[in-house]
Amino acid sequence: MTSPLEAPSYTIQPLATLSPPSSSRTWQSAPHPSLPLVATACSDRNVRVYSLTSFTLVHTVTGGHKRSVRTVSWKPGVKGQSVLATGSFDASAGIWRRDERGLEDDFTAQKQRGDDDEEEDDDYQFSCILDGHDSEIKSLSWSPSGQYLATCSRDKSVWIWEELEDDNFETVAVLQEHDQDVKCVAWHPEEDILASASYDETVRLYKEDADDWVQIAQLNGHDETVWWVEFEGSGMSTKDFRAQRENLSQERAQHLELLERSGPRLATCSDDRTIRIWRRKPKENRQYASQNTGIPSIIRSFNIDEDWFQEAILPQRHDRVIYSISWSRKTGLIVSAGSDGKIILYKERWESQVPNGVKADGDANAPEDAEESQRTPLTEWIVVAELFSAHGVFEVNHVCWAKRNDKGRRHEDEEIIVSTGDDGEVKVWTLDELKT
Amino acid sequence: MDLDKDNANPTIINPSDLPCRRRECSVKKREDGSTGLFDNLTPTYNYLSDPFDGPDSSGDSDDDSVEDIDEQEIYDLISSISDPEHPLSLGSLAVVNLPDIHIIPPTSPHSSISTVVVEITPTITHCSLATVIGLGVRVRLEQALPPRFRVDVRVKKGTHSTDTAVNKQLGDKERVAAALENGTLMGVIRKMLATCE
Amino acid sequence: MSDIQQYLLDYDRNKKEASATAQQTATRLQNRELKLLALIEELGEYINSSDGAMRSKTMSYLAEVLSFVPQRVLSVQQRTCPNGPCETPISLRATGFGRGPWLNNVTGNLLCDFVLSRFDDGEGLGSCAKALIALEERGRWDDERATKIMETLVSETRPLRQYRLQSERYAVLQLVDTLMAKYRTALRDSHDTTPDFMSRFIAYFDGEKDPRNLMIVFSILKVPMTEWSIGADAQELFDAVFNYFPITFRPPPDDPYGITAQDLKDRLRECISSTADFAPYAFPALLDKLDSTSMNTKRDVLQAIVACATEYGPHTVSLYSITLWDALKFEVLNVQEEDLAQEALNGLATIAKTLSQGTSGPLNAYLRPITKECSEHLEDAPTKQSQASARILRKIAGVSPDVTNIVLANVLPNLFLLFQTAETIAKRRGLLEVLAQLIRADIDVYGDWRALGTAEEPIPTNALSQFQDQALEVLLNGLNSAPINEVSFRLVCLDGLIQLSKVRQLLNDKDIGRITQLLYSIVIHEESHGNDEVKEAATNGLVEIAHHKPQVVVDRAFPAFLAELPDKDEEEVRGYVPVLEAFAKLGGEEKVFPTVILRLKNKFSVAVKQESSSIYIVSLLSALLYALTQGSSRLQQNPDSSSYYEDIVIPLLSRTATSDASHPKAFDDELTLDLVGRICNLITRSQTLEKQNRTSAELYTLFSGKPQSEVPPYKVNAPDEGKTMIVSTHLLASFRQETTLPSELQDLVSSLLEYSQQPGLSSPVRSASLRQFSLLFNKFIPTPNLKLHVDALLNTPVELFAPERLDPPRIRIIFAVLKGILLRNSPLLSTLYQSLLSFLSHPQYGITVAHGFTTLLQPDDLLTKENHCQISGLHKQKSFALLVPNITQSIREASPESKPNYLIALSGVLKWMPFEVVVDEIERLVPLLLQSLDLKGEDVIKEAAVGTLMSILQERPKRIEEHAGSLISRLLENSVPLSNKHLSVSSAVNANTITPPRVRAAALKCLMLVPEKMRQEILLPYRRQVVMKLLPTLDDKKRVVRSTAVRCRRQWLDVDEADDEE
Repeated sequence: MTSPLEAPSYTIQPLATLSPPSSSRTWQSAPHPSLPLVATACSDRNVRVYSLTSFTLVHTVTGGHKRSVRTVSWKPGVKGQSVLATGSFDASAGIWRRDERGLEDDFTAQKQRGDDDEEEDDDYQFSCILDGHDSEIKSLSWSPSGQYLATCSRDKSVWIWEELEDDNFETVAVLQEHDQDVKCVAWHPEEDILASASYDETVRLYKEDADDWVQIAQLNGHDETVWWVEFEGSGMSTKDFRAQRENLSQERAQHLELLERSGPRLATCSDDRTIRIWRRKPKENRQYASQNTGIPSIIRSFNIDEDWFQEAILPQRHDRVIYSISWSRKTGLIVSAGSDGKIILYKERWESQVPNGVKADGDANAPEDAEESQRTPLTEWIVVAELFSAHGVFEVNHVCWAKRNDKGRRHEDEEIIVSTGDDGEVKVWTLDELKT
Repeated sequence: MDLDKDNANPTIINPSDLPCRRRECSVKKREDGSTGLFDNLTPTYNYLSDPFDGPDSSGDSDDDSVEDIDEQEIYDLISSISDPEHPLSLGSLAVVNLPDIHIIPPTSPHSSISTVVVEITPTITHCSLATVIGLGVRVRLEQALPPRFRVDVRVKKGTHSTDTAVNKQLGDKERVAAALENGTLMGVIRKMLATCE
Repeated sequence: MSDIQQYLLDYDRNKKEASATAQQTATRLQNRELKLLALIEELGEYINSSDGAMRSKTMSYLAEVLSFVPQRVLSVQQRTCPNGPCETPISLRATGFGRGPWLNNVTGNLLCDFVLSRFDDGEGLGSCAKALIALEERGRWDDERATKIMETLVSETRPLRQYRLQSERYAVLQLVDTLMAKYRTALRDSHDTTPDFMSRFIAYFDGEKDPRNLMIVFSILKVPMTEWSIGADAQELFDAVFNYFPITFRPPPDDPYGITAQDLKDRLRECISSTADFAPYAFPALLDKLDSTSMNTKRDVLQAIVACATEYGPHTVSLYSITLWDALKFEVLNVQEEDLAQEALNGLATIAKTLSQGTSGPLNAYLRPITKECSEHLEDAPTKQSQASARILRKIAGVSPDVTNIVLANVLPNLFLLFQTAETIAKRRGLLEVLAQLIRADIDVYGDWRALGTAEEPIPTNALSQFQDQALEVLLNGLNSAPINEVSFRLVCLDGLIQLSKVRQLLNDKDIGRITQLLYSIVIHEESHGNDEVKEAATNGLVEIAHHKPQVVVDRAFPAFLAELPDKDEEEVRGYVPVLEAFAKLGGEEKVFPTVILRLKNKFSVAVKQESSSIYIVSLLSALLYALTQGSSRLQQNPDSSSYYEDIVIPLLSRTATSDASHPKAFDDELTLDLVGRICNLITRSQTLEKQNRTSAELYTLFSGKPQSEVPPYKVNAPDEGKTMIVSTHLLASFRQETTLPSELQDLVSSLLEYSQQPGLSSPVRSASLRQFSLLFNKFIPTPNLKLHVDALLNTPVELFAPERLDPPRIRIIFAVLKGILLRNSPLLSTLYQSLLSFLSHPQYGITVAHGFTTLLQPDDLLTKENHCQISGLHKQKSFALLVPNITQSIREASPESKPNYLIALSGVLKWMPFEVVVDEIERLVPLLLQSLDLKGEDVIKEAAVGTLMSILQERPKRIEEHAGSLISRLLENSVPLSNKHLSVSSAVNANTITPPRVRAAALKCLMLVPEKMRQEILLPYRRQVVMKLLPTLDDKKRVVRSTAVRCRRQWLDVDEADDEE
């Protein structure tokens, strides 16, 4: 598809490079859910935890893994301590804890001290190891509630672990739907739905049905390895272009209503250099289906399957495999990065042109009739910023959004982009809107 | 005992028929067709004259001339890798061939990233070692080329029963990275690369 | 306390003391203070003690005493005891100890019996054996006794392994070994007479595990294997040793007996190959083990097979030859380890060799399948297996004339057939490679035109003669008609032809002529292709043919070459250059050397007469010089070289000097004159003193007839005439020390002083005049006068070493003089060097002097032994001792400005130092060398420093380990054109701060050596950063640097793999 030619409306500006960098490849970074920290998975078998206030190293989580640490994920919603899950090429996942009480006062102290002389007690403590996969763990992710941890591996399986009480994990599911490497797992922000992306070029969704996890959808479309999968944030319709509701044409209103019922969408990126947006086909009064109980589970499982369809393909700007995308929870912007070292920023908006070439500005001059309203998509994605050689000549393995937290912060909600590269560096970028 | 080998009896190319830099740059040879046999009969007197004439300007007159990395150089890097099952080089087994090596310059003025595409030709179509050989080539190039190069190693179309599968594996950065952390596999690779100059 | 008591007391406490006591007893016996009877009686109580330990100690006492009694005593006694050994047993008492000899055979035997009687006692067996050995040494036994002892041993103490102590078994084995050695016949008889003796004998050693004992067991068993008729017992005997195959024993690091696995392997192999009777068991057993997955086992097996095939003889080997072939071929067809393939080839060859000692039948039977299978493999040449087949055929064909003939007869017809039908040129090449190999084998056996082959005497029946025509045609044709770009194919043809031409008594001169013709036409007429491997090979081929058939080459090739060399060259036509090169190369072959020189000389004089271009003349001179250099060894002894003097030197010199029409323009060129000089030098060197004196008289006038005062160096301010100085210098270099110089030395020196300081001199002329200083001060000043002449330089008016008069021209002279003197290790050096070093702090010229140091020890092509110079073997050591400590010392005190000068001087000196000289100073030098890597713009110096550091890494890595950090970082600094350091220093980048490719490459080479030489624990901390920092070097704009960078980085990448895995 051709991307709308449009002058980029943002520039991506370097803010900082987290230091000291790793002396070998870094794979992925995860911002802390509540604290101004980011954890980075390194091929030197360590995890580095940097401060997003001082941009310096505050902890090195080391000694747990025998091979590259490929993936990290912070457990959401825990008070008083930080819980970090690490997944490694050594086929094991590790759980680490650190007491964060009274952090505010001694956190600043830490960042001066740096990584070299940590006292045992305020270091990350290894608390348990999750064994089970036969080969490299490629990705892991906590469910929003923190109840579940999903891991996936080259052994083609996706495992779901449930933490009964501290450090007692139980395997609640081993999903073997994929017939190749599973590259990435991600959780739905509102429901306990898990998505997994694979070398087999498919994306699959799972859900618990009568305390048994089953596949509820398979997404075909990519024709190469799918490297990353991520759900849209919850309630984005109030934050992105949809927030503007005044005098919308009827069809656009309908469209929004459909989007509402579909719930958060899904974004995937692939070796085929495309980024695709997937949407759930709303079930007729599905709320009922789940509410009026008494229906035996056996029947319910008939309609547990969901129908997800490809809503859009983002403008193609990458020359090589796209390793990672991230969907802003604040603005709905999507950022992508990959082997070609570029970082690209995309924005969704109402389609600017209607077929007859007349500018379709807000005022609904003529009510569209039925078949008009079927015309999809009514929205389009455009590239709003493009950055070359983000990590010099090196590949960028991961990008994600994080809350800005240094003194330079311009407003409460300001976000930064965190990119992780083969050069062992984790870089922090800000977005500047271009005044036109 | 040769049964456990995919191809116990491969064809071998004579070293002096393999492409090499000095062969092609015959241009450099003097127009009078001499081989420079007499050049060293009279050593230039660096003795007693040079060192005193100010700080030495080291003799690299063409210092600023740039010798770009070209296909031949890539070939030289990988043709000396030895085959995992024969004490022979990939070059002499015609697994790697100069015409199957291509360097693609940066796609945009903003980018400095070039791509090296190497197509390998397994000695026989069902060679189970194709992946290992490909991996060896990729590792060699990733170790030997500056990071501005992206390395794509593929099995040449139609020369292998499962070439697409092999290619997909060789293209998967994550799998390659993991393979490099696998001791036994790395042992094999290191043995293959041991013969590289 | 009695000796025995004392002994028993000390035995456990202090073995030495105990032995001393025994010694003392022995002395008393010998001095007759003690009677043997008394001794024995004394022992009685203890030897019968109920305590086993006590009994064995007592026996060891007896053994020691006996061993301490000198043999001499006995030998003396024996003479006094004429009636020889007394057979009848007599009681101890009757012999009356003390009166007669202290010990005679009678008592000897009785003692033997006494000791033997102790065998049944489980204790002290070792001592018993020792005692017996001692007795045997003091009186040869009769056969009966020997056999009796053996019997008793084998029956009373079988199997030996029941005795736990290896030392005890060792003693017994030594006893048995003695018996086997000294009483062979007796023991063989007892084997022949007593049926079960052998099996008991074999069983006796069963289960021995101790390496030292095994060594003896093997050699003991080898006796029956080789000397007894073992028929029935063969298998038992074989198994007895083969049980130990393969030897896997690894000696402990502190093995007291220093027995290696190899010792055991060798002994064992000797046993296995000792007798053909083993063949039926040995070959199957060995071949079975050949399938082992352990390379070491295979190695042992193959070596054993070679040994057996050598020893078992034609008849036996013929029974197994085919089986062996079937097994061995795999090792060659599918090489696992190269050395195994080699061993297998040896095996195959050995079999052929052994068989060719027998009748032709078995030999043919063996060779037929081999040649058949190899021929089959040739059908799909060139493949791995066709190459392997070539190896096999070549190896076997080289064994003996018979084999060669059979192989050739079996293989060649088919080979030629395949060649005709071959569809690809690659296949043809593969086949001809085999042909060439076979011809080589044929030469090995039948020899070449100059030397006989392995078949010592000349043999008329060389099977190759039946194929020579076919071979010749195929090869000639291939080389002649193949497309020019089929390099490898043509090279193979060419090689084949050369080999063919070499085979003794094979081709006639006409055929060799045809080959020669083809070769020179390639050299001369063929258009250049690629880097002309074929042309080069053709030239070398001609040289090789000239070595065997000089006349053919002279008659056929020379005219052709000369025809290509014009008398007068035309503009821009340079076709003659490659021809000249090739022709000059031929000079390297002594048989044609004189002709080459003669032809070149003539061509030269004609060319000059015809006023050819300078370029042409220079080429001719170059060719002449090249040829002379190659034959220089010959110039030395060869008497007729004098004619060269008349025919070449004199004309050249006069041409140089004359200014009339006969003076070629070419001779105004310094390069030409250098060539002339060198040619004259080569010839004049070996001339008689008289001739040299004659030349010396004209050293500067060069037979021009001018008065000496009219020519340089005596005449100053004549730069254009000055060029002849170049020739003079080479002549001066060629003279003997005794040669009389054209003028008073002092006078000559002062002329040179003035001359060489002239501003206008071209650098070759200046350099030439300076080198004359070196020559004069090295050769022509006898040691006693040296000081005199040196002082002349130091004192007024010259004051060469006066700091205030220092300037570049004088500095040059200083170094030139020093260079001459240091080579002869004069004591004057110490003072001279002192002042030289002091110049390093000179504000203006310190740096200039510093740079001069590298010239001091730099090898020089004129100051050589061949040029009769005085070269002391220790001059480098001496200069090192005088300079280096001094410099290192001064650096500490040196001012920041002059410090670089010292560093430069230091690496300049070290650059040419052999490592063994440097080694003791390493600790002090390393830090300084590292500092000199920081010098900006001093690239030559850096290179030198890196060189020295490399040799230190090579030889004494430990001594540099403490500096690993700074070494690595500095090398990294210098591995990139612009190091961060430089940038920080000067933002404005000028030439000096750019590290040139040569230094970058050197730094990387050195850095590559680090992981090779240093211990891992030292490297690990740096590994990741080095690997990272090396990335930019992979993108260096110079190819050489990149390739070094690649290798360097690999070394570092491999560093920590080991610990990566746990």
